[in-house]
Amino acid sequence: MVKGRIIGGEFGNILVRQKSDAELELGELLVASTPQSKILMQVIDLVYGSQISQQNLELISGMKLEEDADLELMDENLRNYNLAALKNLITIKGDSARLSKSLPSFFSEVKQVEKEDIKFLTKPKNPLYLGKLRSGSKTLDVDIFLNGEDVFSHHILIPATTGKGKSNLTSCVLWNSTGNDYCGNLVLDPHDEYYGRNNLGLKDHPNKDRVSYYTPKNPPQGAKTLRINIKSLKPPHFNGVAAFSDAQRQAISAYYRAFKENWIEAVLLEKPLKVKFHEDTLAVVARRLISLLDIEVDEENLVCNDIFVDNGAETTTNDICDELENSKTVIIDTSNFSGAVEILVGSLVSTEIFRRYRNYKMKGQLKDKPVISIIIEEAPRVLGKEVLEQGPNVFASIAREGRKFRIGLTAITQLPSLIPREILANMNTKIILGIEMAPERQSIIESAAQDLSSDNRTIASLDVGEAIISSNFAKFAIPVKIPLFEELVKQNQKKEDVQINFSGVKVV
Amino acid sequence: MKFAHLADCHIGAWRDPRLRQLNIKAFERAADICIDKKVDFVLISGDLFNTSLPAIDGLKAAVKTLKQLKQKGIRIYIIAGSHDFSPSGKTMLDVLEEAELVVNVVKGNVEDEKLKLRFTVDEKTGAKITGMLGKRAMLEKTYYERLDLELLEKEEGFKIFMFHTALTELKPKSLEKMDSSPVSMLPKGFDYYAGGHVHIVKETSLEGYKNIVYPGPLFPTSFSELEELGRGTFYIYDDGKIECMPVQVINILSLRIDCNHKTPDQIEQELKREIQNKEFINTIITIRLKGTLKSGKISDIPLKEIFDELYEKSAFFVMKNTSGLLTKDFEEIKISQHSVEEIEDNLIQEHIAQSKLDIDKAEQLELVKNLLKTLNAEKQEGERNIDFESRLKQEAIDTIKLDKEFN
Repeated sequence: MVKGRIIGGEFGNILVRQKSDAELELGELLVASTPQSKILMQVIDLVYGSQISQQNLELISGMKLEEDADLELMDENLRNYNLAALKNLITIKGDSARLSKSLPSFFSEVKQVEKEDIKFLTKPKNPLYLGKLRSGSKTLDVDIFLNGEDVFSHHILIPATTGKGKSNLTSCVLWNSTGNDYCGNLVLDPHDEYYGRNNLGLKDHPNKDRVSYYTPKNPPQGAKTLRINIKSLKPPHFNGVAAFSDAQRQAISAYYRAFKENWIEAVLLEKPLKVKFHEDTLAVVARRLISLLDIEVDEENLVCNDIFVDNGAETTTNDICDELENSKTVIIDTSNFSGAVEILVGSLVSTEIFRRYRNYKMKGQLKDKPVISIIIEEAPRVLGKEVLEQGPNVFASIAREGRKFRIGLTAITQLPSLIPREILANMNTKIILGIEMAPERQSIIESAAQDLSSDNRTIASLDVGEAIISSNFAKFAIPVKIPLFEELVKQNQKKEDVQINFSGVKVV
Repeated sequence: MKFAHLADCHIGAWRDPRLRQLNIKAFERAADICIDKKVDFVLISGDLFNTSLPAIDGLKAAVKTLKQLKQKGIRIYIIAGSHDFSPSGKTMLDVLEEAELVVNVVKGNVEDEKLKLRFTVDEKTGAKITGMLGKRAMLEKTYYERLDLELLEKEEGFKIFMFHTALTELKPKSLEKMDSSPVSMLPKGFDYYAGGHVHIVKETSLEGYKNIVYPGPLFPTSFSELEELGRGTFYIYDDGKIECMPVQVINILSLRIDCNHKTPDQIEQELKREIQNKEFINTIITIRLKGTLKSGKISDIPLKEIFDELYEKSAFFVMKNTSGLLTKDFEEIKISQHSVEEIEDNLIQEHIAQSKLDIDKAEQLELVKNLLKTLNAEKQEGERNIDFESRLKQEAIDTIKLDKEFN
């Protein structure tokens, strides 16, 4: 369907006159031809055009408004119209595509994009389904996949204003990646929403045996009670969790060297060290640990009130890491935790899995392991400039070098501008949802894999569930419509028809 | 209400007849304690026997003890464990139940694809007992997934749940690789959770689950258990008070020698120092040698001589473990310290990955494990070769569900 005709402009800002019965939208995809190829373009701006001078237009409108004159313009469709500014996205030749470096033929028709035009969007190895191709607000029947293995290991950023569909998108990404052998997902879930304890969620996944749910309170059938033995905690796990002074860090290190896995107990029970530290330093360390871990000291015993215990739960961290290595999605319900405890739990598991994967790389076994994706909500809490100024943490290390070890972050935030530029630049896939705040849009545009400098307005106008995927692994910034999670679940739920033979159970 | 909780008796576990006798002796001792303490009933949370069809000597002794308890009016409630469960349904536990020596509490029905367990009510005390059998490699997991928890939870009264499964939340680090299930698979609000399978002695409570008890084996079943546990144990519940009862049928002395940077001569001297001027009447001695020798070979350590000396000093049984002992020449060789079961599991998992069978991987695992278990059966005393062969064949056919094709 012809939508308009090219009438001028320049590379990256091609001017098109809209056909009178067509309706162009911001973000709409259009195709124009050159003698050898087709060029895929996208609407970046819309303005009015008219053959009548501005003065006459003002006069005519005044007559209609003030005198209610029964005036009609002759050949109105010819005289008044819309003009659209388009940017080149890609040049298509047959089934292949490359970045555009030329203009479409002058005065050529621009057409609505058809499925045939975008045959180059193929299904990659390890496909991660992200939604349907979107042209403006219209959804096309073209599935958009990226190579999940590449995308997860090179980090994903999901920036959006509240209410634009971050949780829905994350749920869809988790749903579509769960059950695949190429990846394991670690989800720190501060709103306890992804498992779907009381509504639809990953518990309803056809491969629910590949979903593991840890919760500190009242676990539903099959879920695990989250408890962590304090012996699993090592000093580096506290990086980025609590701001200790140099003296306090040294004291912690000294305790760890002296008492190994029993160091926390030793600090809290004030066991003596050979090295001398000021008693105030030790007191502050103990007080902070007591507060963070919610442990009380009752004479010579520890009384553990929360998830950190001194008895049992010795294998929790390793169990989680094993599950991740077995390509499972592990959801940790952190909804009852303070921010610091949530980060401590995440830091503990992330440090351990990072350590394992470094080891695998050293032994040449890394290629056999699934990619690990760590999903962090409100990412600036661990990746924010202010936090990182206080010292490094494992999440920043993963952001910088995790891809070499097949570990990636999926960072979700409303405020990407708080994340340092070099970390944003390392997030090689950005699934951009609607962002209303200009500075936040700017930080994303400046660090995107494709040139989004002309998409400021398009990003601001993204409606709920509409997204732009800018990725090193995509040929252009792809506009997509994210499916509604509830519908995705309903489409993919399968009725279990496995007949279990309960041998050994005496039937009465 | 007073009851005893035993698990993992593993009668018939040891290959050596002297040690095998100790399993039986431990069971007899536990029964004596139960009679002395006047318990109302006894729970055995799986693995009474080490196989589903135990050898006659162990069976005879077990029957005698069970009969003795019955005569004292003490009922015995059991569940099958990973060792004495039979996928083909042929287990000696059924025979014992038919003989009214024990009551298997794993009973119920299936409605709407849900497993609805029923309670067995102890006539003397009114305690309501139910439970879930254990299978190898946690294959009972699917049973738990289909278990109707609500039905069990809403039942009023003093309730006991027997299980033969490792619980993830309570697994010790040493058993990290053991298959386990979260505690949330069990029904909440019972008064006592009688566990088995994991050979640890533990009594604890978790939110919604009070008195989760693992009594440990009645007698250690491996070298490392002899070292770590030193004896068997079971529990007695007496009106809310839970007490661990030791079952000491023999003394155990564990010698651990750090062999790092030592010569075989030095190790010999060290061992001799450890045993000099001592008698070892009624004692099992375990010797674990660990580390890398400074020089020489492992065979240069005169262990036979040490063994002879220990037997001269009246030792009941002497065992050695040198799996962690290396020589400098062979330092790079990795010694697998996995159990036979773990090695077996790893091999099956590897081969399943290559299998072209058109069935679910979990089902394949279950099938292979069940088949292995079936084929692992030993010829019974007095059983003719032809009968043994046809029994094995039939059980294998039952296990792989080919009865229609063959019968």
